[in-house]
Amino acid sequence: MAEQQINPNFLGEEPLGAPTIRPPHSKLSAGEWLKTNLFNSRLNSIITVVVGALLFWCGYLFVRWIIDIDFTIIRDTLRVFMIGSFPDDELWRLWGQAYLLVLAIGFGSGAHARRNHDQALLQGVASDEQSLWSLARRYWPIIAVLVFFASFAKTFSPMLLVITSVLLAVATRWLGWVAPAALRLRAGFIAAAAVIASMLVVAGTSKFGGVVVGLLLFAWAATELRRGDPATSRAQQAVRWLVPLAVGIVAYLVIAAIGFEGFGWKDWGGFHVSVFTAVAGIAIGLPGGVLLALGRRSDLPVVKTASVIFIEFVRGVPLISLLIFSIVFLPLFLPPAWETPTQLTLAIVVIGGFSAAYIAEIVRGGLQAVAKGQTEAAQALGLSPGAMQRLIVLPQALRAVIPAMVGQFISLFKDTSLLFAAGVLEFLGASTIANNQPQFLGKGLAPVTLLFVAIGYWAFSYTMSRESRLLERRLDTGR
Amino acid sequence: MSTATVNSDATQIQGGTGEVMIEVEAMDKYFGDFHALKSIDMKVGKQEVVVVIGPSGSGKSTLIRCINRLERHDRGRIIVDGIELSDDVRNIQEIRRETGMVFQSFNLFPHLTVLENITLAPRNVRKVPKAEAEAHAMELLERVKIPQQANKYPGQMSGGQQQRVAIARTLAMRPKVVLFDEPTSALDPEMVKEVLDTMQDLANDGMTMICVTHEMGFAREVADRVVFMADGAIVEVGSPEHFFTNPQEDRTKLFLSQIL
Repeated sequence: MAEQQINPNFLGEEPLGAPTIRPPHSKLSAGEWLKTNLFNSRLNSIITVVVGALLFWCGYLFVRWIIDIDFTIIRDTLRVFMIGSFPDDELWRLWGQAYLLVLAIGFGSGAHARRNHDQALLQGVASDEQSLWSLARRYWPIIAVLVFFASFAKTFSPMLLVITSVLLAVATRWLGWVAPAALRLRAGFIAAAAVIASMLVVAGTSKFGGVVVGLLLFAWAATELRRGDPATSRAQQAVRWLVPLAVGIVAYLVIAAIGFEGFGWKDWGGFHVSVFTAVAGIAIGLPGGVLLALGRRSDLPVVKTASVIFIEFVRGVPLISLLIFSIVFLPLFLPPAWETPTQLTLAIVVIGGFSAAYIAEIVRGGLQAVAKGQTEAAQALGLSPGAMQRLIVLPQALRAVIPAMVGQFISLFKDTSLLFAAGVLEFLGASTIANNQPQFLGKGLAPVTLLFVAIGYWAFSYTMSRESRLLERRLDTGR
Repeated sequence: MSTATVNSDATQIQGGTGEVMIEVEAMDKYFGDFHALKSIDMKVGKQEVVVVIGPSGSGKSTLIRCINRLERHDRGRIIVDGIELSDDVRNIQEIRRETGMVFQSFNLFPHLTVLENITLAPRNVRKVPKAEAEAHAMELLERVKIPQQANKYPGQMSGGQQQRVAIARTLAMRPKVVLFDEPTSALDPEMVKEVLDTMQDLANDGMTMICVTHEMGFAREVADRVVFMADGAIVEVGSPEHFFTNPQEDRTKLFLSQIL
């Protein structure tokens, strides 16, 4: 009885609490299980033996191949795989970036988990387990792969980075959990600020960075002023626009004036650039896709036609042709006064736009799945069309398409390997570079490097997939 | 006097304060070529409770859905509390703010808690401060007798509870009229009573109501007037006791004989 949840709101009206009588539990012993599932008839026994032998043989060959592998190529070229040709004396920027990102993720997820936990308490349902062990079980693929990567390094510093990052993640997650409610409420802004800072550490401060920081602080100030009661007078309404605007402009001026020298991203490469491009692509593709999906359902002919043309054009063309087109041909069409964007910039825009088109179609499916009664109820309550989409339709539509959307994100992550064709030295491309080193040329080491690369892609894709299932399950609770 | 008899004139207000709240004048509605509502004339008074009955497909739901513009009427006029319903979006919004609606399938927002369901529209449309909206929501939940469910999600509740939340959500906008579109038809029999009781309380508090329903007991006890519709037209109108004891039209007699 110890593990039963006590429901504080449970008044005996409906059976929401833990059942008092559990269903009869039938658990087979290992021997019984084998007998009922694998050896229950003569034919099945034969199939089991034959398939088992085959599997064993394949496994044996694979293990022998693994044992015989000479990982010298990985050891010698690990840097190319991880960060491309990023210069030595700028490495501290990457450490800073990693720590700031870990801080954003740790604090944000801690605050988020706490909110879910509090909400679950209010409703009297069980909340997710929060322990070091459960976290380790949740993120083991990524942690294991990072340790695996670092184990090939010739110095200890990469391993030190991995260990300190994991510790920092745990610490900041705990901080996010125990932080005062006022901070937890603003965790999204804190995390966003850390993410932007992580970019500025590498890229340096610039007018562009100033615009990004200015927008963030504008959004933050505007939210703060609207958090309480709605504006009662025109003057109050004006203040609620002008103060955030002033905050945003001041932030822009400050950031633009700091003059912190940066290191552009022309030399980014390896796993670093693959993950970065994927995240940036998602950050562009998700909101872009939602807007395109809404645009496609719009009553305005111009918006609708433009959305349809964009979606159908992008979906009808291979990603690699878009990449090459943009990188080789686009600069020719730009006004000569414009600085030519770097290949990575163009690639991120193309990947973001490409996924936006696919996500738009996924979201459109979700929008169609929202019951008509929902929009009718929203209309009957007097909600404006915009508020109805934002508060009623989109939240339900996006929930319905989480699996498809994460599937698209995973394929986007793997599609970043096409960047190599466009001249960006990403993770998969690094294996080509490694194999072309004079000392490894023609030694047939491609399978080794490909295995190494595959493990990296797998760890991140698998984690995304697991997180999506977790999210689905949580959002599904009682709704 | 017309109050004691049964006829087909739905513009005679009975009960309530006698002032006009809703006026429908020569209203027609088509679905494609199908003539769904045929020249409807009807008035509903302030604090009056009108129950609309009739066989399925007779246009009862369409009639009340035209009043808050979930369906667009094709001819005639609809005036709610002095505002004529037109194609102007602001005008439609204004009428919807004053007109609550309770649906057959509840249509609660499944991704929001009960409290959020109720406070959403007041906060967003009427710009009521959060604390005030929540206090009002709790009052309404007391009134529909489920305050302990405030932090649940709709999916965790029974149908009857959900419909009572839907009524509370509608009342949170402090509407002048509430339209009920078969509010008990999707409920299990044992839950019908709790919803009807809530509706009766509302009527006793002086709310103007138009109810499309098959609950004849409710019609008999609560209605000031019963309107019988068939084939898109109003066939017969009268006070409940005359309506159920002494119907004049054959169509009405046939319908009542089938359901009573």
